[in-house]
Amino acid sequence: MGDTILTMKGIDKSFPGVHALDHVDLEIRKGEVLALMGENGAGKSTLMKVLTGIYKKDAGTITCEGREVEYTDPRHAQEDGIVIVHQELNMMGHLTVAQNIFIGREPRAGLFIDDAKMNADAKKLFGQLNIEIDPQETMSRLTVGKQQMCEIAKAISHKAKIIIFDEPSAALTDAEIEQLFKIIRGLRDQQLGIVYISHRMDEIKQITDRVTVMRDGCYVGTLITADCTKDDIINMMVGHVIYENPKTESHVRPDAPVVLKVEHLNAGRMVRDVSFELHQGEILGFSGLMGAGRTETARALFGADPKESGEITIKGKKADIRTPQQAVAAGLGYLSEDRKRFGLALKKSVTENSTLTCLPKYCKGPFLNQKEERKVTQQYVEALNTKTPSIDQLVVNLSGGNQQKVVIGKWLIGDSDILIFDEPTRGIDVGAKQEIYELMNQLVEQGKSIIMISSEMTEILRMSDRIIVMCEGRITGELGIEEATQARIMHFATLRS
Amino acid sequence: MEKFKNTPVVKAIGFNRIVLIGVILLMYLIFAALTPVLRGGASFVKFERVLSALNYAYFIGFLGLGVTFVIATGGIDFSLGPVMFTSALISGYCLMHFHWPLWLCILVSLLIGTLFGVLNGYFVAYRFLPSFITSMASMQIAKGVGSVFTKTQSVTWPASGNENSWFRYLVKWGNIPTGLILLFLIAAVCAVVLNKTKAGRYILCIGSNREAVRLSGVNTKKWEMLAYILCGLLAGAAAIFYVGAYTTVQPGLGDTFNNEAIAACVMGGTSMAGGIASILGTIIGALIVALMQEGILAMGFTISYQYVLTGIIVLIAVTADTLSRRKRV
Repeated sequence: MGDTILTMKGIDKSFPGVHALDHVDLEIRKGEVLALMGENGAGKSTLMKVLTGIYKKDAGTITCEGREVEYTDPRHAQEDGIVIVHQELNMMGHLTVAQNIFIGREPRAGLFIDDAKMNADAKKLFGQLNIEIDPQETMSRLTVGKQQMCEIAKAISHKAKIIIFDEPSAALTDAEIEQLFKIIRGLRDQQLGIVYISHRMDEIKQITDRVTVMRDGCYVGTLITADCTKDDIINMMVGHVIYENPKTESHVRPDAPVVLKVEHLNAGRMVRDVSFELHQGEILGFSGLMGAGRTETARALFGADPKESGEITIKGKKADIRTPQQAVAAGLGYLSEDRKRFGLALKKSVTENSTLTCLPKYCKGPFLNQKEERKVTQQYVEALNTKTPSIDQLVVNLSGGNQQKVVIGKWLIGDSDILIFDEPTRGIDVGAKQEIYELMNQLVEQGKSIIMISSEMTEILRMSDRIIVMCEGRITGELGIEEATQARIMHFATLRS
Repeated sequence: MEKFKNTPVVKAIGFNRIVLIGVILLMYLIFAALTPVLRGGASFVKFERVLSALNYAYFIGFLGLGVTFVIATGGIDFSLGPVMFTSALISGYCLMHFHWPLWLCILVSLLIGTLFGVLNGYFVAYRFLPSFITSMASMQIAKGVGSVFTKTQSVTWPASGNENSWFRYLVKWGNIPTGLILLFLIAAVCAVVLNKTKAGRYILCIGSNREAVRLSGVNTKKWEMLAYILCGLLAGAAAIFYVGAYTTVQPGLGDTFNNEAIAACVMGGTSMAGGIASILGTIIGALIVALMQEGILAMGFTISYQYVLTGIIVLIAVTADTLSRRKRV
């Protein structure tokens, strides 16, 4: 093991309403690959953003090579040799490889850019990494894997001492991952410090030397990779937290009919051969880590995004769903994870938003029946306890929880039988959260069926009758609520098939 | 002030609209005061001046009404003026050279406008092109088609008193400004469509958040296209009121009216970002534009000054709109 390059000690960071980092420690050593692991929202990304100067820390110290540092700008971190290779690549597709690597600091010959030197320098960098990429190739014509290697080349051209990889393998093929590992090992042997963020357990075992685990914004511990098992890591990630009111048994009647059957649904990289059934009166939880393909599955099912193949059967009848219009006609409703972008016309009133799913019902010929429209809106505002001064209020002026109730009301007025709730309580205060849970329970009692996508373990264990776990576009496991534990869910959520 | 803003009448009309009506009166007073000074005693306060200003207000009003629907969806139409001219050119050519009946020629004008609306709407709603680019292209097409059809000659519709000149009664019957009555009538219809029908509701909601409307199971393409079709139809109608007032149309022109119609619309409180639109505001805006051009000419300035002023008005109105939106969200 090499010497320590950088230590973070007692790092603390709060956002309004969230204590994102609670006195976290981290140590990065020369010639070593450190894995940083944790569930969604554990604070990994926040910690890395503090390290690279994107966020300002509230408390704690960062010591780099014996000297205390304070980065207020990502550029300062870069100058000190700390660079991050993002999951989503920040490349300009129409420029050449060399232009991308040296953007903003091109070698000059007088007034002009010295292209020859720039290409030669890029070539040298690739030589150092032992890879073959033509510096004059246009970036967008490279595969994602090659583009990532350019990003790495760019990182080492900054004379990097520490390179942070944020889920680098998410978009790569197996062969590309092999090559990435080779490069990472090469960098390690050149005495760089590497931080590797990934959810893939097998990769962690393969490439990393130590594992630091975070949970709920806290530092949990660090293990030597070679000395621990996958289960050790999962147990540390999960901890022994007691969750309030977990459901202990399914509330679905044993003879409840299947209302929705999805078979072999395929849509892009994120939805691969997804099949499942939903029973009447059931809350079917969809769990998984970020980017597991849950939202993509919902959108493909709802016709919001095109699908390649797959059969959907609703109440025993084949349903041809290619547009949201057909989905709504078939009785589906979709509450998006991002209500401001996909759920609400913000500059319009509560009434105008509420009847959007079924406006023809509130029309006489081409004309609106505004009396009826207002009546039904008022009725649902009261039933859902939506706090708004009037039904003419613009939804942009409502709080998050009340906006969410407007979206829910919209689907209830539309009388959808099968509701897809994608992160139904995201960004909502505790009181409104409770109300939405109660509402969901009432809805299934009334015979509606709910698919609930949630990244919150508490929510999944508390609301679901059955849980489907996805990982990288595939369903990797299914658990009845009786057998579901957080550890079991995490096991499936990190299972690469 | 707050109390005044909350009285029912003010709420129904909208405070901004009341300010604009004040602006009209103020402009009139300024022109009335300055014209005699600048033009050696010539008077601005004459009924002919009012009629002349109204002639301008009619076609700008119809164009403005049309583009209000498009802007309500969050789009823009720069082909309005040339489409209006092309409709007037081709239908007028049919009237003067093919001797088609007048009613049929009026229908032809409406049809040509509608076709351009379909063209714009199709590429914007179904092919996802930016409306800016689409309407720039159709503006060129409109100019070209008109020129080709008339072999680059201007077309003069019959003057009053001649055979086939009853269309001029649509604009003025004796001293009665029938055009104003028709403009208000059509504006009322537009207001009903925008505020009281399914189509208007969808158009406004699409302007506010297209994706949310689509995910509510609405065929957004169809309704967005409808806005462009309405806009085209009204440009075809504007053509009749243009020739009803001025009789002659030349090929290859008309683009200056785009900005004036859009200025009328934005001044009246329709948001360039979409989702918020006011028909009454557009009509008041059109009256302001018309009064301004009449005043500028009366005071002895050339029409070029009006272009400068229109440009400035658009900048001010859009800036005000952007600022108020930033404050709210």
